Amino acid sequence: MKKECIAMLLAGGQGSRLYVLTREMAKPAVPFGGKYRIIDFPLSNCVNSGIDTVGVLTQYRPLELNDYIGSGQPWDLDATDGGVHILPPYMDTRGGTWYKGTANAIYQNIGFVDLYDPEYVVVLSGDHIYKMDYSLMLERHKAAGAACTISVMEVPWSEAPRFGIMSVDDKDNITEFAEKPKEPKSNLASMGIYVFTWKTLRKYLTEDEADPTSENDFGKNIIPKMLGDGLTMAAYRFQGYWKDVGTLDSLWDANMDMLSPGSGLDLEDESWTIYARSVNAPATFISGSADVRHSALSRGCEIDGCVENSVLSSNVTIGENARVSYSVLLPGTVVEPGAVIEYAIIGEGSRIGENAHVGAAPGDAGWGLTVLAPHCPVAAGRVVKAGIMLDQNGEEASK
Amino acid sequence: MKGLHGIIFCYRQRAELRELVAERSSSSIPFASRYRAIDFALSNLINAGCSDVGVLLHGRYQSLLDHLGSGKDWDLSRKHGGLRLLPPFGYEGPGGMQPFRGKMEALANVRSYIDAIRQDYVALMDGDMVVNLPLQEILDQHIDSGADITVVCGNDSFATPDGSYFDVDADGKVTEVYYNLRHPRGYRGLEIYLLSTELLKRLTEEAAARDLVSFRRDVLRPQLGELNIRAFIWNGFAAQIHSVEEYYAHSMQLLTPEVRRELFPADRPVRAKPADKSSTYIGDEGRVLNSMIADGCHIEGTVEDSILFAGVNVGPGAVVRGCILFKEASVGANAQITDVIADKNTSIGEGVILRGAVKHPYVLPKGETI
Repeated sequence: MKKECIAMLLAGGQGSRLYVLTREMAKPAVPFGGKYRIIDFPLSNCVNSGIDTVGVLTQYRPLELNDYIGSGQPWDLDATDGGVHILPPYMDTRGGTWYKGTANAIYQNIGFVDLYDPEYVVVLSGDHIYKMDYSLMLERHKAAGAACTISVMEVPWSEAPRFGIMSVDDKDNITEFAEKPKEPKSNLASMGIYVFTWKTLRKYLTEDEADPTSENDFGKNIIPKMLGDGLTMAAYRFQGYWKDVGTLDSLWDANMDMLSPGSGLDLEDESWTIYARSVNAPATFISGSADVRHSALSRGCEIDGCVENSVLSSNVTIGENARVSYSVLLPGTVVEPGAVIEYAIIGEGSRIGENAHVGAAPGDAGWGLTVLAPHCPVAAGRVVKAGIMLDQNGEEASK
Repeated sequence: MKGLHGIIFCYRQRAELRELVAERSSSSIPFASRYRAIDFALSNLINAGCSDVGVLLHGRYQSLLDHLGSGKDWDLSRKHGGLRLLPPFGYEGPGGMQPFRGKMEALANVRSYIDAIRQDYVALMDGDMVVNLPLQEILDQHIDSGADITVVCGNDSFATPDGSYFDVDADGKVTEVYYNLRHPRGYRGLEIYLLSTELLKRLTEEAAARDLVSFRRDVLRPQLGELNIRAFIWNGFAAQIHSVEEYYAHSMQLLTPEVRRELFPADRPVRAKPADKSSTYIGDEGRVLNSMIADGCHIEGTVEDSILFAGVNVGPGAVVRGCILFKEASVGANAQITDVIADKNTSIGEGVILRGAVKHPYVLPKGETI
């Protein structure tokens, strides 16, 4: 059936800068904030914005992500008309290729988009933590009569060189785009969220595919080409919390932001619920010997020790006299009695042995977060220094 | 077809639960921070591979309908079978619409449903019995022992209003059935019975024909000699929720690790309806001790020896002791509440002091504000 607007969610990237955390799963499937996975944010934003058809483009290690999305029921996306669709690369009579770039991924699924014959397509990334009403962005797109609208936010000038920077005219239409400019002319950073008029995008994707020199990437090819051709490109100014969690540091930061109301990341707000697939576990139990402060907890945890400034996912066990501070513990982590975890991200199902010590508070030069791969064993009494990363066998891995 | 069919009785209104059942049936009473009582019966059945479940309703079943929906949260929204809700159908007792007087009367009311059961065995259960049983194992024992009816019992004679009790011989055979005992003896019945579909159909026919209403009085007791009635004794936690005092006492048992292990074993998960809440947040000054906490709570005060459901808010300086706070209950700053059961969407204002007693917890009814 015809839809006014559908969403295409790019979830196929490896997320190599999350290192051991994405060794066996795609980045959007990485747990976040206790009870969520990263992909819950764009999926929930879609549903809350009135978009009921979402294509999820997967490629790298999709199994965990596919299993998590399932029928789409937790996000109310299990519809007979529309709903969520997983779109991996496929074969046709001429053979088939992997998705060569973000633009190519959409190009290969032109047939899917055409099924719904939409006027507009929202293109999203699967690695951002934010709450955003895409319907307002779509309104801006329509009002500007734009071919493409790009969501932008002001960033401190000093940080501008890390982003794709947009220069705009007095109508907030984009005049120039510079990817990570050394001397930025503006401090409006692209958030990697696009609304396209589908007819126009369809044409550009087809032309881009025919160009053997193109990298088939939105930021590198499609957007500059459209801008060069003089199409109307509108900027949509977003205000609120937004974070790209593509790196271990930013993933840790975003988890910590959840704990501080000042950060702007408010997940308790029921007017914009972030939905997640429910984990089947009893409620969390905090015992008489526990001391839990300034922390967020998911269900199924058993806590006997001390937890401060930390985010605990489901089914985490903290033994007596153990201490966890400024850390993110992913589902099923077991911290045995007397163990200490500081400034760390602990992968799913890891087991920290008695009196082991993982990570340290910031201090010396060369300090960094300590990161443990999923299912990483840490022997009793072992000391894992700050900045170290361990693989699933408990051996040091390089960042 | 081999396998087990489930029938859950949710027709009873339990007056001793007072305000807690003013707007719900005892089967939909919230329990253990994130469940409704009926989640346990449903989970027992699905964990034993049961795919068809009939729920017999009567009285205030609106909240139960909301909770169960299509049954999809228990994987019981199926093309064939799955969850069947069975509200009273054209049942007129003397003096109009009256509650069913017993299980046999309730079953006779749904004879056409019983005639269509596809499985060879049926488990009859109460929707307000909180227990996590190895039902598959009990069915295997039922079949191996050649019993006509297997009665599941707790290993004590805990006194409960309207309880059934059984004498069991060394061989596991039931030798006597008691009810209305002032001083209970024998094994406490958990109101869970296994029997063949064929026998259930025959008993239901007879009950309808002869106006028999009670399973224990009109079936079990008179047929002790003719039928091979055997017991399965369950040693773990099992809570009948018949009164406010029982509800409070059994809830507080959840704070014991052994009870939680018995009710939530890893290999027999209990499924609940998901709540779309954020993670629970405990603030800088928040202090939580010996308590069970669901998702989406926001705790800035002190919580001890308590059970909190989803979305509970405890303000700064507030002290919550020995309380059960249902979904979305809110305790204002510096309030002090002890031995209180606060129902859904209740609000206790700043500085309010409320004190119940362990034997007589103070109940704040749904939606009320103090």
